Amino acid sequence: MSSSHAKDTSFLGGRIPPEIESMSRNLKDVDQELFRKLLKAVVGALEGKDCRDILRSAAETSLIPQERLSHIIAGMHKLLSEAIRIPLTLLKQEAFKEDLRELKIPEDFITDFSSVVFGNRRAALEAASSQKDPHLPTLEDFKWRVDVSISTSSLARALQPSVLTQMKLSDGSFHRFEVPVSKFQELRYNVALILKEMNDLEKRSILKIQD
Amino acid sequence: MADVDATKSLSGLLNGIAQMVYYNNREITEELLKNELYPEVSQEEFKALHDKMKGLIKSMATADMDHGQLEAFLTAQTKKHGGSGVSAEQAAALSRFWKSQRVRVRDSLLAQSRWEPALRGLSWRVDLQAADSRGNTDHSSPVALMELELGRAGQDSEFVCLEFDEAKVNQVLKKMADIQESIDRVVHRT
Repeated sequence: MSSSHAKDTSFLGGRIPPEIESMSRNLKDVDQELFRKLLKAVVGALEGKDCRDILRSAAETSLIPQERLSHIIAGMHKLLSEAIRIPLTLLKQEAFKEDLRELKIPEDFITDFSSVVFGNRRAALEAASSQKDPHLPTLEDFKWRVDVSISTSSLARALQPSVLTQMKLSDGSFHRFEVPVSKFQELRYNVALILKEMNDLEKRSILKIQD
Repeated sequence: MADVDATKSLSGLLNGIAQMVYYNNREITEELLKNELYPEVSQEEFKALHDKMKGLIKSMATADMDHGQLEAFLTAQTKKHGGSGVSAEQAAALSRFWKSQRVRVRDSLLAQSRWEPALRGLSWRVDLQAADSRGNTDHSSPVALMELELGRAGQDSEFVCLEFDEAKVNQVLKKMADIQESIDRVVHRT
């Protein structure tokens, strides 16, 4: 095990997170069936699914005390989220396995962890965690109506078109506002400009950020 | 020389009335106009002139008179006898005033009958997400951030911020083309 050349630091950083250390201590005499059940639940949770039922049934059928299970689940969650955080270009499978071996995690479990981090679940996990990035609300629905004021209390012959719009945003709020025709032209011009900027950006590969 | 002064004072009076009545300028008062423009005229005389001009502007504004209508209207006013008519000089001043202020007066009158908040302005920015809390750099497609400034007449603006991906911007732009088409149909018909 002791290699002659200095090993790079673990993907977990210089200090191993306490959840992961505690998991590795509690993994002794856990059978692979239970381990896989828990791992599946944790992966589901990282993908944003509700996994309380699976965990409850695992806890009920297992002989391992619930407190130990909690340590294991917390450690799995931490380990996987740390591993998903690192781009694949920077995390090599062998180094990952080696790091886990140093934590004294049984070889079978290492294989299972590795197949989550480097297998075909990875794309889904990355997509799910990017949903958690901070976002502004997005536009969910956009309704409009074009009105022509014929006459008003202060203008006998108005004959002025205007656009009434209603936006529903992803945070559930509604915004209704009127857009005078001159403002509408400005708005349309700007939206077209935004689209052009976005298209240009995608064409320009200089902005592809390399690791 | 006296004529030039009279014309200047009258232009000042017409613009002052527009500021007071149509542009909500609280700093302009009838008293201020009297003291600045007609200090030598008696209060009654000034009041009569002021009310007459205010009434004429109101007629012009309510009907949103175009050039031809205005000419006909002013010609009729100059032919009136007694105190209710206007002189040729006054008609010329009114005509000049209306030429420069018609659009603005009309906009202000339209705004008086607008109760929903109106779009006042927008600003935007296109970003490329370079990294996130997970250090990920894979999903770097552009994001448009937009801020809409909305407000009711006489009230402070509120700001609505939202973000779009490219597909959404495209969608909105298509809807705007539909709106434009509707506006064009209406405008060409009238």
